[in-house]
Amino acid sequence: MRNIKIAIFFINAVLCSFSAWSTETIKIGLINETTGPNAEAGSYAINGVKSAIEQINKKGGLLGKQVEVVIEDTQSSNPGTVLAFSKLGGDKDIVAMIGPIRSTQVMAASPTITKNAIPVMIGGTDPSLTHINNPWVFRCRPNDSYSSKVIAEFGVSNLNLKKWAIIHSTDTFGTGGKKALEDALKVLGVTPVLVQGYTNNSQDFTPVVLAVKKSGADIVASYMTNSTDVGILAKQLRQLGVTASWVGSTSITTDTAITLAGEALYGTYGVTDFSADASAESKAYSAMYRSKYKIEPDVYSGWTFDAINVLALAITNAKSTNPEDIKKAILAIKDYKGVEGTYSFDENGDALRGYNIVKNENGKIVFNKHIQFPK
Amino acid sequence: MDLANNLQVLFQGFALGSIYALVALGFVLIIRATNVVNFAQGDFAMVGAYILVIFLNFLKIPYAWAFLISLICMALFGLLFNYGVYFPLRNRSYLPVLISTLGASIFLQNSTLAIFGAQPKLLPKVFNVDGLLIAGVFLDSQYLVILVVTVACVLFQYFFFEHTLLGKKIQAVSQDKDMARLLGIPVALMIAITFIYSAVLGGLAGVLVGPILFVSIGMGSIIALKAFAATIIGGFGDVKGAIVGGIFIGVVESFAAYYISVPFKDAYAFAILFVVLIFLPQGFFGEKISQKA
Repeated sequence: MRNIKIAIFFINAVLCSFSAWSTETIKIGLINETTGPNAEAGSYAINGVKSAIEQINKKGGLLGKQVEVVIEDTQSSNPGTVLAFSKLGGDKDIVAMIGPIRSTQVMAASPTITKNAIPVMIGGTDPSLTHINNPWVFRCRPNDSYSSKVIAEFGVSNLNLKKWAIIHSTDTFGTGGKKALEDALKVLGVTPVLVQGYTNNSQDFTPVVLAVKKSGADIVASYMTNSTDVGILAKQLRQLGVTASWVGSTSITTDTAITLAGEALYGTYGVTDFSADASAESKAYSAMYRSKYKIEPDVYSGWTFDAINVLALAITNAKSTNPEDIKKAILAIKDYKGVEGTYSFDENGDALRGYNIVKNENGKIVFNKHIQFPK
Repeated sequence: MDLANNLQVLFQGFALGSIYALVALGFVLIIRATNVVNFAQGDFAMVGAYILVIFLNFLKIPYAWAFLISLICMALFGLLFNYGVYFPLRNRSYLPVLISTLGASIFLQNSTLAIFGAQPKLLPKVFNVDGLLIAGVFLDSQYLVILVVTVACVLFQYFFFEHTLLGKKIQAVSQDKDMARLLGIPVALMIAITFIYSAVLGGLAGVLVGPILFVSIGMGSIIALKAFAATIIGGFGDVKGAIVGGIFIGVVESFAAYYISVPFKDAYAFAILFVVLIFLPQGFFGEKISQKA
């Protein structure tokens, strides 16, 4: 009997030392598109996370502990995302996660996120994502009800164009964006002459372009998910002689789209939550990013950089890594200046309400103006 | 205006269909030689395109040379593929070989990702002109090249298989390996040549389509899925069928996207596949199983 007691004592001691050892760092999960068609965006997301964590650790970490990131691949797919969430959800040392930038993936993983019951910072911009009664989802980008208002406002009032064609991906992001844009245009008294969906990774946009041509639209608004699709569409639009103005969602402003499409995107406008010259914070971040990675910063790295910093602020304020405490601390964040804008969380978990309009001037993204909406 | 639009859609359909046909040809050759579907066929296109990226964008070799060297590299790659993926399993049933090609596909995609990173690459077009505008129809120069190359490949293939001794030997191997062996035909060598040729074909498809779809890790798998449907529609393992099937799918999906609905574009290829499988289970040109036996 005595022997058994001693044995149990030793096992306990070993287990305790293990758990003590494993909590020496604060682990944050990153659900990332490391492989698959979106892997290029995934690599930028990792840059953002790592540079934020590096800065935090240099200043002594959080609650006296170093921060560590655990990356799990989604293979750029919905099933992969769900699997990644369940896998990291099984690691009890992970206190919070950075989720996908793809709305459709967040939607697919929503039940798993609820089950995991730890805070997830997301980059998906479909407005409904924070309104489906999931208390664990927090958005580190402005949602598409704002981007669509900005697109509509800019096109109708600034460019003075009334014949709209909407091109959208048929995934959650594209469909949500299209709906929000239709609503925003309605407020301004405009009914689009064409609303055209397409599936991601289309190899040929000829039918889409011909539909735009037929409709006689003088402005094209797009909600496209993949930058390669933007590249192919841009080339075909110009080849088939469409000269309409083009205001696109964020993908039109990404480094990939600009490189691939080249001249075909010159003179187009985009709305983006991240613009290198929008604020003092984004300027400082961009300078750091350029010197560290030798490429232009874009939204894919900007939002994950912010997401880590918002989490860090919440953990510091909560003085705890308990998920419930972190959640409360995130919701309490007011007027935090990040690189994407000023974060003030509402009860749904939305924090940003502003977008930047940028213009592609001969391949350079030039900041045009920032449009901010009240809470 | 509408005639021009229809012609535009037709041209686009033919061009995309030709790419499916090129990849489908590679499928068919390997099916005939080994009775196995090579799941890495689409990745041959991806590998070919990345090899051209190396020579053209990194080593800055003139286009014609880079193009030629890439195809030679693809031939070597096909040989390696034969000895690494197929040869060790040649005496097993079709299933282990099938899984082996599937594994090779995953390996190729991820090693390319590890080497080149995820950012898609740009390739220049064969000719330094964007295209021709004839009567309101825009003919992309690269698509014209693809059409010409496909026709050339079809003619070459016909001549090669019907009029050269080597081609006849390969045909004999694909029809009956044991008989071919008895007649003194080096079966393993013939199969190796088949892999080499189909890797070159795949690489050619990738190199040609690179400037249009951009060079990315997933570029091959999108094409391969349609090409595989083309292989089945045309008649499993039939050379004519692969070409007709590929172009048929390309044209039908373009028109269906134009007239019916764009978001369902990818569904049409497989809808056609269902219909063909129901009414013509052996495909357009396939032999009935009873005739084969």
